[in-house]
Amino acid sequence: MLAQATVNGILLGGLYGLATVGFSMVWGVMGVINLAHTSFIMLGAYVTYFLFERLGMDPIVSMPFAMASMFVLGYAIQRVILNRVIRTSLLLSLVVTFGIELILTDATILAFTSDVRSVNASYASRSVELFGTLVPLVRLLAAGLSLLLGIAFFVFLRSASLGQAILATALDREMSNLMGINPQKVFALTAGAGAALAGAAGSLSSMLFPVSPTMGVSFVAAVFVITVLGGIGSVEGCIVAGFLYGLVQAWAAYFLGTSYQEIVAFALFLAVLVVRPQGLFGRAFFGEHA
Amino acid sequence: MSDAVIAAPANVPLFRPVVWLAIIIGLLALGLAPLGITPYWLRVFTTVLMYVIITQGLNVIVGITGYHAFGNGVFFGIGAYACGASMAAGMPFAAGVVVAIAISALCALVLGWPILRLKGHYFAIATVALNLAAIQIIIQIGGITGGAQGLALPLSDWEPKPLYIAIYYLMLGGAVASTAIVAVLLKMPLGFALRAIRDSERATAVMGIDTTRAKVYAWAISAGLTGFAGAVWAYWITFIEPSSAFDPGVGVKAYIMLIIGGMGSILGPVIGAFVMEVVSTLVWGGFLKAHQLILGLLIVVICLVAPNGIIEAGARVVRSWRSRDGAA
Repeated sequence: MLAQATVNGILLGGLYGLATVGFSMVWGVMGVINLAHTSFIMLGAYVTYFLFERLGMDPIVSMPFAMASMFVLGYAIQRVILNRVIRTSLLLSLVVTFGIELILTDATILAFTSDVRSVNASYASRSVELFGTLVPLVRLLAAGLSLLLGIAFFVFLRSASLGQAILATALDREMSNLMGINPQKVFALTAGAGAALAGAAGSLSSMLFPVSPTMGVSFVAAVFVITVLGGIGSVEGCIVAGFLYGLVQAWAAYFLGTSYQEIVAFALFLAVLVVRPQGLFGRAFFGEHA
Repeated sequence: MSDAVIAAPANVPLFRPVVWLAIIIGLLALGLAPLGITPYWLRVFTTVLMYVIITQGLNVIVGITGYHAFGNGVFFGIGAYACGASMAAGMPFAAGVVVAIAISALCALVLGWPILRLKGHYFAIATVALNLAAIQIIIQIGGITGGAQGLALPLSDWEPKPLYIAIYYLMLGGAVASTAIVAVLLKMPLGFALRAIRDSERATAVMGIDTTRAKVYAWAISAGLTGFAGAVWAYWITFIEPSSAFDPGVGVKAYIMLIIGGMGSILGPVIGAFVMEVVSTLVWGGFLKAHQLILGLLIVVICLVAPNGIIEAGARVVRSWRSRDGAA
């Protein structure tokens, strides 16, 4: 049973890690705590649900569509709203993104009602054997694809010139600006990429969890804890911390009971904040000086 | 704090005569209001006054001290539960309110020592985590808090109408008192120390002020005020549950009111609470289905249209951004 719980927890942790990468990058690069981030996860799940319901499209096939639409949304919100706000005060962005979250959630309720939906892929009930435990195929797929996307983003940041522009802006905004990098564009690009990764996480989670306008709430704790644990703005930190978080959650549920999961998560969060605020992998990113 | 060598400037009037006149007229109108308004608007204005108290509480830690306690609503819930549990244990309402203020302030004192050492964003999200964790903790404690099922407070033997008017006056008294506390605090050595911390914490420490202690005191005052509002609110609605008492929206709404009204000012939170609550009530009445959407739009528009001069500390950020604009 412990082995089963451990494997399940780690696999879920992979998905949580992907759900967090965008949030952590946006925070690291421009110092914005995006409270609307979990709405992107929710909307990504709805894109997948919509394509599944109307066209019978497989969640994994529809994932790129979810990512593309969330990229456009994230980019547009950054360009039109957030870039103007963060000139004035970084903490104002907390309020603005809270407002955006209200808008996106309520718009989803108006469009899809608040009914709980589900996406059942044809292989939803299949399981595979892994280290002597029985693992649902969808969980394995979700964790595998999450890891893949996380690594892809990591490689993109370090090898593509656009990715390097993002990293440079995160490390030293003034200097990167002197090198001819336009921060406004980098911010929008980062926000778009972050939203796209959140959309992918939403797409994958629609296979595991019920889809509803308020499903983002269940990611809030994970997103905050993993960001701080992994170090703000660190992609590799996010992925590792995601698995760690999944493991801790699973063990908390196994040893203490499911109702203690959240408390353990918050205790971990506060402990890391107080003892090691830069996280396990954190470096001197811009967000830390904000 | 007593060893801090800071003297208040002598004979600086608190407000100009025009402002005093507006305050007196406003207080008279609010004092006489229950005689002439419908129960619906009585409820709206009771809520407005409740938010004046919460926003003044937030003003102490955010506006004056510069520590962005985004999850300050946690003390609203603590106050509500402390009052509710005390009354469930047989105490009268007045004792419940005192217990609520004491426990809220005590929680801020204990939690403040580690958490107030965090800076900027880290402190902001630590308070959000506290707010969210409190929901789970109440559910776990169960017992006298009622856990996930919620807690029904003993009903008053008053008639509903005088009871609601009494609660209105209680909130009005709290709003006046909290505004007075902020005004007095700004004139006290502690208030000067807090404003110094907001502008430069390191320099304040160099001046010989124990900054952590000052910040913890500020948060305790903030928590006490917020806890009072929570206690009266609990008695007012008579049934509390973890998700309504610790609704993160309470703290966030107060934060928005503080931004609208102006941080660190004495009357700003009063104006912010009135504008925000009355507008959102009208929106609620006009757009039943999409009121959250409209409210969200309002928040975004307010922050876009009037962000300048909203946060004094933001001026520094603006200046550092100007250099960026020159280069682009």
